[in-house]
Amino acid sequence: MRASDAALIERIVAKDETALAALYDRYAGMLLSVLNRIVRDKQAAEEILQDIFYQLWRTAPQFDASRGSLPGWLVVIGRNRAISLLRRHTPSQGEELLENTVVLPVNLERMAAQEQLFGRVKCALESLPKEQRAAVEFAYFEGMTHSEIARRTGDPLGTVKTRLRSALESLRRNLQLETA
Amino acid sequence: MNGHPTREEDFDLYALGAVEGEERQAIESHVAQCAACSRRLAEAQGRIALLALGAPRVEPSPSVKVRLMNKVRSTVQGRAVRSAPVEPQRAGGFFEQWWAAVLAPVAVALALAALFLWTENARLDRQVADLRATMQDQQKQLDYARVVAHLLEARDTISVSLAPMPGMANGAVKVMYNEKMGVLMYDGWIDPPPGDKSYQLWVVPKQGSPISAGVFNPATSDSAHWLTKVPEGIPVKAFAITLEPAGGMASPTGPMVLIGPVS
Repeated sequence: MRASDAALIERIVAKDETALAALYDRYAGMLLSVLNRIVRDKQAAEEILQDIFYQLWRTAPQFDASRGSLPGWLVVIGRNRAISLLRRHTPSQGEELLENTVVLPVNLERMAAQEQLFGRVKCALESLPKEQRAAVEFAYFEGMTHSEIARRTGDPLGTVKTRLRSALESLRRNLQLETA
Repeated sequence: MNGHPTREEDFDLYALGAVEGEERQAIESHVAQCAACSRRLAEAQGRIALLALGAPRVEPSPSVKVRLMNKVRSTVQGRAVRSAPVEPQRAGGFFEQWWAAVLAPVAVALALAALFLWTENARLDRQVADLRATMQDQQKQLDYARVVAHLLEARDTISVSLAPMPGMANGAVKVMYNEKMGVLMYDGWIDPPPGDKSYQLWVVPKQGSPISAGVFNPATSDSAHWLTKVPEGIPVKAFAITLEPAGGMASPTGPMVLIGPVS
């Protein structure tokens, strides 16, 4: 029987290395994919991946599984680290604090669930109009703000804001994301 | 922002990192004091985290896991060595006891000093990171203010007031436009548009078709003024605001809401 994330975290707190290895096997592929997409350098992405799992090993007692989702936390921390590397910026303490609670609307503990959602997210992104998809990708994978996207695309700021807002509305509708 | 953000997209946009400046600070200070919005932000962080699954799948090299587990094992062994039971020592002579009496307090003092330096270092690191983020925010605000000042100071900047069309939404808008710089500043207010419509600002050139200068919706934007870049060197006949489907159109299709001819 597969152990839940919360049970594996408890074992990590008790310094059980096999629990960390199990969580690594569960989420390393998903996490490395987003890190690699952001930094576009597999070696640099793998270094961040290793750091994040080592941080999980050291700080597991501070992680409250009842308040947030582990894969959500891994992705948010990983994305911020990768964007920081990309933009040579250190996340502020405030940003780190806001990352502590991430509530995922789905359970990703099973690989099959990850694979299924992977397909749904890919389809939902591909179904967006080209400009909306580009805006979402600039923001998510390159960490750009509204005005930075406007500068990059040459579009008016108001257009970029409306475009991103519409894209997020469509994504939520297409993915039928209601928080559990 | 005095109250709760009204739409889920406000939280999604914040979690995405797209929101900036005063709008970002307003959400942060509100969320810090509001448990309900803090929960909604945590949910938005989760929704946005799912976009990670839009990245092409890459599998880690096996060596990463090996390095990670070696690092973990070395810390476990280090702890075991540190916590290993100490063999009872034989009773030493006078000099051994004297050295122990001198060195023990020195070791404790050194450990305390190291702990103090480590915490101080971590605190300073956090301060530096905070200052750097603040500086970047201020730089962005300064850049914006510089462009506004440059626009307002330029002798060839024109100011055009837009008046509401009869029977349309009420509003008072002023456009500052510099043809050479190709920069336009919108300043003013309009009643929110109906349903899923947006307003779109147009530069109407003396020759050729209207050029879009921005799509906006006062119901979802806190800002009453914004800058935008338009093609340089376009002599302008008028500025107009029309009602269009959300997201805007390539050319005007909806009714004109406000108009301001260039005198």
